[in-house]
Amino acid sequence: MKTVKSMSLYVPGNSIIHRLEPITKLIYVMVAGVLPFILPANPTAVLCLAVTLAMLTISKTLTKVIPLTGFTLLVLLSILFIQGLFHEHNQTFLFRFGPFVFFKEGLSYAARISLRVINLLLGISLLSLTTKPSDLIDSLVRRGLSPKIGYVLSSVLQIIPQMAASVNAITDAQRARGLETEGPLIVRAKAFLPLIGPVIMSSLIQARERAMALEVRGFNANRRKTFLRAANQSSRQTTIRILLILILFAAIVWRIFA
Amino acid sequence: MKKIIVEKLKYRYPMTGKLALDNLSFTVEQGELIGIIGANGAGKSTLCLALTGLVPHFYRGAYGGKVVIDGLEVIKSEISELALHVGIVFQNPFTQVTGSKLTVYEEIAFGLENMGLDRSEMTARIDEALHLLDISQLKDRDPFQLSGGQMQRMAIASVIAMKPGILVLDEPTSQLDPQGSDEVFKAVRRLAKEGMTVIIAEHKIEKIAAYADRVLVLYNGRLIDFDTPHKIFSRTDLLSYGVPAPVYTQICQALGIQHPRSGTYPVTLEEAYLAMVNQHGDSLC
Ligand SMILES: Nc1ncnc2c1ncn2[C@@H]1O[C@H](COP(=O)(O)OP(=O)(O)O)[C@@H](O)[C@H]1O
Ligand SMILES: [Mg+2]
Repeated sequence: MKTVKSMSLYVPGNSIIHRLEPITKLIYVMVAGVLPFILPANPTAVLCLAVTLAMLTISKTLTKVIPLTGFTLLVLLSILFIQGLFHEHNQTFLFRFGPFVFFKEGLSYAARISLRVINLLLGISLLSLTTKPSDLIDSLVRRGLSPKIGYVLSSVLQIIPQMAASVNAITDAQRARGLETEGPLIVRAKAFLPLIGPVIMSSLIQARERAMALEVRGFNANRRKTFLRAANQSSRQTTIRILLILILFAAIVWRIFA
Repeated sequence: MKKIIVEKLKYRYPMTGKLALDNLSFTVEQGELIGIIGANGAGKSTLCLALTGLVPHFYRGAYGGKVVIDGLEVIKSEISELALHVGIVFQNPFTQVTGSKLTVYEEIAFGLENMGLDRSEMTARIDEALHLLDISQLKDRDPFQLSGGQMQRMAIASVIAMKPGILVLDEPTSQLDPQGSDEVFKAVRRLAKEGMTVIIAEHKIEKIAAYADRVLVLYNGRLIDFDTPHKIFSRTDLLSYGVPAPVYTQICQALGIQHPRSGTYPVTLEEAYLAMVNQHGDSLC
């Protein structure tokens, strides 16, 4: 039960970015993620990326991005490689790398996709690294999300690691009694069946008890819910939000009329 | 003022043949601290659930008779409404962690947010509850990273902060060491003094003897007796209902040391000592 890792990526801090209202950050991520699809892709994506990177730097979370995005970067690299070599409209020779011949059309196509994906990914990273999930959910509930859905969202983040821990505990217990829990897949699969029984049973019993505990703490009370955390409703937050939405709006207008 | 009225309460869990609660009738006054004792399976936990409405609203089953808390008849009221009058802390503290909050402080706030309290009231109540359970130093910890005893205190604090008129605790000290148990009992004693009605199902007989105003003895779902600790623990047939008297009482019974006027036996160490000094003062000195 001890030393269970939380599923949250949040890096505690007190920077300006940390203190921004979660909804403001959420709006930023959406606007920055969508803009490159509306305005000329590459310059817009680069600009948004630059802003996001600046915010990551200010919030001192830049280094935490690498493990988050490592796998995606690998995928993007292979897209660059494949498109550079084999894109169907490849015409203009660019350079040769050993046996591989790269073409401009494929590379620029792949670069456009990659920039958009990285832009979106870093935006989401920024949000998750500088925002407590519970704060984000709180803000959404304040804005009208059902408290029940909010509870499910936030408890999933906490309870899944708990279940993983109880699987570990039971695996240990079964290993101690001589059940094979390592080795070839088929052996482990056989060991897994007797394992999930207790996990599911104990989870069900716990779920019922937890449901009662929530109930008696007024979870279904027909009252207007209040929040421990003060909402950061400064006029600055509102200005930023309006500005972001205006930018998006202007982009759409430009797209329609240009 | 009658805070709890139980009349001819009968209850059977779904798909079982035996009554878990068998024709219970009793009343509790405001500000009393009541201990419920009885062997395993006597029905203590079931009675706790019945006092909060979770039986029969949550468990269904066959239900008869009547439970009235704070003027509300349990069977006719919603649990969410009852929750504002009666709080309960279960035996297993782990399942009482909401799982949606990152710190002990926020965890305690959960019920208060649902009650719609404003922020200043909330923080005042949380600080008070943290202080009362002596867990202020844990307020920024992750609820799931606490020890069983710490979690139990947090669970109690979470319910106390809601300031229900009635507080029901089902073996609240099962995860606590003797010192921790003592602190919990002292805390609820204080709450009872301030007017909260407290019901505790508990195995630790010595604690019940020292802190309860009255003790309710259950056996096979039936109410055997409901009286002061002195009267209850002076009964010579107590052990046949699966409950031993406190060791101090047993010793005094063996030595024939009684309170001169009431004829009951001492139930705590202090009482036993005083009674011995009174009776054998000369020879002890
Ligand atoms: N969820 C349940 N379903 C069916 N029977 C139950 C359930 N919980 C308790 N019982 C039965 O009800 C009786 C009283 O149990 P309980 O109230 O838990 O006793 P205690 O808390 O005094 O140990 C026992 O016979 C027990 O087997
Ligand atoms: Mg019990």
